Amino acid sequence: MNGVMDSILPRTGGLEPSTAKGINVALMFFGIFTLVGIGFGVHSLVVGHEHTFGVSREVPWGALIAAYVFFVVTSTGLCIVSSVGHVFGIENFEPIAKRAVYMSIVTIVAGFIVIAFEIENTWRMPVGNVVGANLSSNIWWMGTLYGAYLVFMIGEFILLQKDSHKKAAYFGLAGLISGIAAHSNLGAVFGLLNGRPFWHGPYMPIYFIASAALSGCVTIIFCTYIAHKVNKWQMSYDQEKAMQSVAKMAALTIAILIFFTIWKVIAGVAGHPPGKVLAMEALLNGPYSINFWVGEIAFGMLIPFIIILAVRAKNMGALFIASFCAILGIFAMRYDLVILGQVIPHYYGMDMVDYPTLFSYKPTLHELMVAASGLTFCLFFLFLGEKLFRGHVTESH
Amino acid sequence: MKLKELEQLKNEGVDHISSIERRRFLKLGFLVTGVYLGGKALSLAPLTEAQAAEVVPPKGKYSYSPHYSMVIRERLCINCELCVEACNGTNDVPSYGYRTDILERRRAIVDDKYETIFMPVLCNHCNRPPCVRVCPTTATWKDETTGIVKMNPGRCIGCKTCMTACPYNARYFKEEGRFVDKCNFCYDTLLSKGAKETACVTACPADVRVFGDLADTNSRVYELLHTPETLVWVLRPKTGALPNVYYTNA
Amino acid sequence: MKRIAIIFIILAFLVPAVCLVAADTDENEYDEDLYGPEAPIIWEKPVRGVIFSHKRHTMEFGLDCDECHDEIFEMEAGAAEEYDDFNMEAMYDGKYCGACHDGDYAFAASSRCTTCHIGVRGVERLTGKSDDKNH
Repeated sequence: MNGVMDSILPRTGGLEPSTAKGINVALMFFGIFTLVGIGFGVHSLVVGHEHTFGVSREVPWGALIAAYVFFVVTSTGLCIVSSVGHVFGIENFEPIAKRAVYMSIVTIVAGFIVIAFEIENTWRMPVGNVVGANLSSNIWWMGTLYGAYLVFMIGEFILLQKDSHKKAAYFGLAGLISGIAAHSNLGAVFGLLNGRPFWHGPYMPIYFIASAALSGCVTIIFCTYIAHKVNKWQMSYDQEKAMQSVAKMAALTIAILIFFTIWKVIAGVAGHPPGKVLAMEALLNGPYSINFWVGEIAFGMLIPFIIILAVRAKNMGALFIASFCAILGIFAMRYDLVILGQVIPHYYGMDMVDYPTLFSYKPTLHELMVAASGLTFCLFFLFLGEKLFRGHVTESH
Repeated sequence: MKLKELEQLKNEGVDHISSIERRRFLKLGFLVTGVYLGGKALSLAPLTEAQAAEVVPPKGKYSYSPHYSMVIRERLCINCELCVEACNGTNDVPSYGYRTDILERRRAIVDDKYETIFMPVLCNHCNRPPCVRVCPTTATWKDETTGIVKMNPGRCIGCKTCMTACPYNARYFKEEGRFVDKCNFCYDTLLSKGAKETACVTACPADVRVFGDLADTNSRVYELLHTPETLVWVLRPKTGALPNVYYTNA
Repeated sequence: MKRIAIIFIILAFLVPAVCLVAADTDENEYDEDLYGPEAPIIWEKPVRGVIFSHKRHTMEFGLDCDECHDEIFEMEAGAAEEYDDFNMEAMYDGKYCGACHDGDYAFAASSRCTTCHIGVRGVERLTGKSDDKNH
């Protein structure tokens, strides 16, 4: 075991991690917060979700599903971004790739932690998924493929640390394929529900992959910048070049998302498609309009897009701010997507009496704490990773 | 291997394999390739038939025996909720949940008045149940004999995908036992013990709910669904779930 | 300042005037001695959630008290409910509500169920108890 660890953990080379006290304090804080959040999750598991979560019969999926989607979207995105360099050999992207692979593992684990507390009986999964495997269930495919994905990504990371890049690329490709398959299945979990007009259709799986690319781009910009800042590392020329390339890719994916969103809105409004238009109204002009206009549109798309274009993807500080805004906006996108699909009442448009026009959902402290612990988990392992792997530097060959 | 040698090889003879064996082999192959799944979920031939038909399956085309179904004579419902009470008592339904419910609609009528329509709802035991398709662990399935959509509590992981998939809000999470609970036409509590109808049907004082085997042309459900000059409909037909709970103005 | 004073003076006259008018119409609207109790009767037996409104039958449709009292219904709240034959069957035979609701004089007792059967939901709405099951 020691031998394996020795070959993975670099003792020398790379960047010297800062020994400043502040980093250790931050690590402690993130670690403890994560444990507290998990404590909230365990509490919910023991006393039952109905006492601690805001979910209901009508809206069975809440903030934790949104958080899960957020984390696995980010992970898939990081895998996509890393593969641009590692698998497809576009050299510009090489310098960010190792960190991206590492963080894709961290974020998928964060996603698994969050979903473990969202699912009521996680312990029934290992047996149930095998004994009762349902090949027509997108949830089953998603779970199985993400399991494989995790294995491939860990394999890729270990091989990268061992400097066997060729083998790593195979694992990277396998990870990319399983990740995209898993992620589009996650989209299909929503998209293939005929009874949910806001979700139904092929849009979801496609949109999920497109937005994953954005998530990956902005997350790697965020992580790379913060790692350098905190450890007081000077960003190398290659690293800066890579950041610029990623930022340009981010701008491109934002443009694609803007295009997607415009057509989603038009398709949801034109001719008032039954049910869908109710959700669209709630999104554009109702209880979710702040999430949409401020969160999704301003933070998620316009602000980062404008910043990246304004600095021509060259100013690292500006890119960091853009990526931070985009991450906030992406969370709003996940939240709206998950909740809005469920708030349209089942028997809409039937002239019901004493029947809500929209179901409502509000996240509780427990849900928010578990979701937040997923974030601190990611930050904890981001900083720890910089220490252990000395800045994830790729040696040039 | 040379071509000549190939030609000389004795035919192992697929025609010597029994058809059951062959079928088994094919099934395995289909399972592996996913064609089987595609065939089940996407096959077009039975689909066009189902979509072209009325909401009630054509005579003789019943997938189950008994093909359990319920007919709701909606205009007679007076929302006394005796059915709900009977269901709760029979099936150990907790106070926060329900397997069946009465909803209320309103329709404008002449003289600036309106009429109230009470709409009983329950699991539709769909022929193409969305909840069954999405369940990752087959904790819920469509019974091959009766067509009842059943639950195996011990298999339920509580992901609640079936609840989001159901177009009819027929499922709820039961804290006691930690599984998604739903109507099963009182299968475990009554039908399997020899009863001929569900608790809600027995409790109804207005003869709103009629239960029976649609495949039996002498049954009352069959008769109600095939009475001249009456209207038969199902809820949310466009979801393609093909419900087995029918509504009629008869 | 002047303007505010004027507004106040106008208001001082207007408010009582409006109140008076409102009170006036209220008083004129319903006379319990003439029309019977204003509050609707809600029957619980043999099934829950059935309503009878004196106001509807007397004030709106112009029936006199003695058209129903005391031959068809005793003039005592809840009396009819105590009889074993206070049910739909009896009404179809022309008893109780069925005396008028015969499909000729008024809509038949065997039709338009929800006009009188307002159900558990209807009663809850009437008594202000909200039904939070679905919300």
